[in-house]
Amino acid sequence: MNSGRREFLAVAGAAAVAGYAGFRGGRSAGPQEVKAPVQKPLAGAMSQVAVVKAASYSHEIADAMMRGILECGLDVTGKRVLLKPNLVEFDFNTCINTDVAVVAAALDVFQSLGAEEVRIGEGPGHRRDTYAIAELTRYRTEVPKFDDVFIDLNRQDVSVVQGFADRKEFYFANPVFEADLIVSLAKMKTHHWAGATLSMKNYFGLVPGSIYGWPKNELHHIGIPTSIVELTRIFGPKSFAIVDGIVGMEGNGPIQGTPKPVGVMVMGSDLPAVDATCCRIMGIDPAKIEYLQMASDILGVTEEARIQQIGETIQSVQTKFQLIDEFKHARLA
Amino acid sequence: MANSLQARLDALREWQNADGGWGYFPGKESWLEPTAYAALALHGEPAADRAWKLLSSWQMPDGSWRPSERVNVANWGTSLCVTIALARNEFGAPLRQGVAWLMGTAGVETHWLGIWLARLHISKADRDISLKAWPWKPGNSSWLEPTVHAVVALRQAARAVSLDTVARRELAERVRIGEEQLWSVRGRDGGWNYGTPLALGIELPSYPETTALALVGLQGHAGLAPAFGIAEGMIAKTPSALADAWLAIARRLHGMNAPETAAEQRPDIMVTALQALAIGGNWKLLQAGERT
Repeated sequence: MNSGRREFLAVAGAAAVAGYAGFRGGRSAGPQEVKAPVQKPLAGAMSQVAVVKAASYSHEIADAMMRGILECGLDVTGKRVLLKPNLVEFDFNTCINTDVAVVAAALDVFQSLGAEEVRIGEGPGHRRDTYAIAELTRYRTEVPKFDDVFIDLNRQDVSVVQGFADRKEFYFANPVFEADLIVSLAKMKTHHWAGATLSMKNYFGLVPGSIYGWPKNELHHIGIPTSIVELTRIFGPKSFAIVDGIVGMEGNGPIQGTPKPVGVMVMGSDLPAVDATCCRIMGIDPAKIEYLQMASDILGVTEEARIQQIGETIQSVQTKFQLIDEFKHARLA
Repeated sequence: MANSLQARLDALREWQNADGGWGYFPGKESWLEPTAYAALALHGEPAADRAWKLLSSWQMPDGSWRPSERVNVANWGTSLCVTIALARNEFGAPLRQGVAWLMGTAGVETHWLGIWLARLHISKADRDISLKAWPWKPGNSSWLEPTVHAVVALRQAARAVSLDTVARRELAERVRIGEEQLWSVRGRDGGWNYGTPLALGIELPSYPETTALALVGLQGHAGLAPAFGIAEGMIAKTPSALADAWLAIARRLHGMNAPETAAEQRPDIMVTALQALAIGGNWKLLQAGERT
């Protein structure tokens, strides 16, 4: 057991008591009380992850996404859904963000599956003008009624969670509490500090810049792996992941890497299982990714034998991503 | 231009909350940042007095300001409150405590241990961590935007507040180091991002809004004409109402004309207030004064 895992377990012991039960609702917005999620014993449990092929950002994405969601058995009827894309910053030369076609397809699919409400929320970590990034990434022009459904999570009213790693209190935007289901619409990318950024790391965008700044440096001081795990502990139980691996990013991700076509979307309700599957597709050993090691068997399943793969096999879509020197040791044997 | 200003000021008056503050968006709870910018835009009006009354109630015992009524975290917005207090000629204890808090706050990267680890090549730093600047919140590293506002507020305080010689020298020194830090985090492309030119030794790009903010923080400095050109070029390619507003303010603070904003007017209170500051005359409330 490495130090990061020990550190997390120590924190989790205290935090499990606080957890959701420690959530203190807002004065006017946000729920007043949230019950603690049922802690399922994970030892021996199985998880399902769907890998669906999508060769390009065409109109066929919606069909592929629908197929994957239904195969995972997700029921969104009557639920308030928050889609959380990975919208960071923009560079014409690469592919930093969840592609607009995936976001538009998700909006359409979750509406057609009977969700009561579908909104899109993001709090970018580098750029303050979220709407400018949304313009550059064509979200504002290609997502129907974008301005009506979009929430800038950096600048919302907030509520507090008791216990986040070693912090007594941590604040989040009210819309993330108000949602019944958060869909992590992540991008399949390498990450120069975390190894890979997938559905779990994508939740850094739930942290409000209005309190923690740009970048969200508090998470770096807590520790990136610990923060990723804490975000998954709090929001994972009401999450579904859809990772855009149609074109991912290899090399010096998450901003300055190079596009890597893989032609898949990876989906599931168990975020660590989805991310571990993505790692295997990328040619990364999930056991060498610290936050997945910390989350394994506590927040989700990462062992390959205990993930029931639906759709494509890992081997049939595996596309080795180029890794920077700091993560060459994480190459899947 | 008068109509454009009036439309924005009218919108701000209409969006003011009953408690005297403004949220980031109409109908939302009051937050320090939009309230501070709106109060500066409406300076001299009863609306600004109500806003200051609310902000005054958010000052914490350590002299800092919290970012909203419900958030119990010391915040970089303390600099904005110092600027407002000075604009209102309120030189009492709240102002002095706010200045003292800013003087006592620095990014954690400047802790002596971190500096020695970097000097011994045990840890790597992508910027000069010996230069004390300001974080978004205590316990974090320093970044560009909080440093810009702290530099402006402390330069204003140095000009307006009676201080003994030692305190004045300390304040001037802290400002000098803060400004040096801003120069040191300039990107190789000539602009600024959120506050580091490199990550793991690799160059990072600059952004228009942070470049414009750096220009606000470096009032009175020479050699910045290329940076204005860079910010304008970035805005031309990547439209941003926020960057556009900050650049117009920066141009005015550097004695230049600012073209009227072409940005659409959105129900975004912070951007609307900054646009009103840029268009009207109240950008002068962000003047830092002579360099010492």
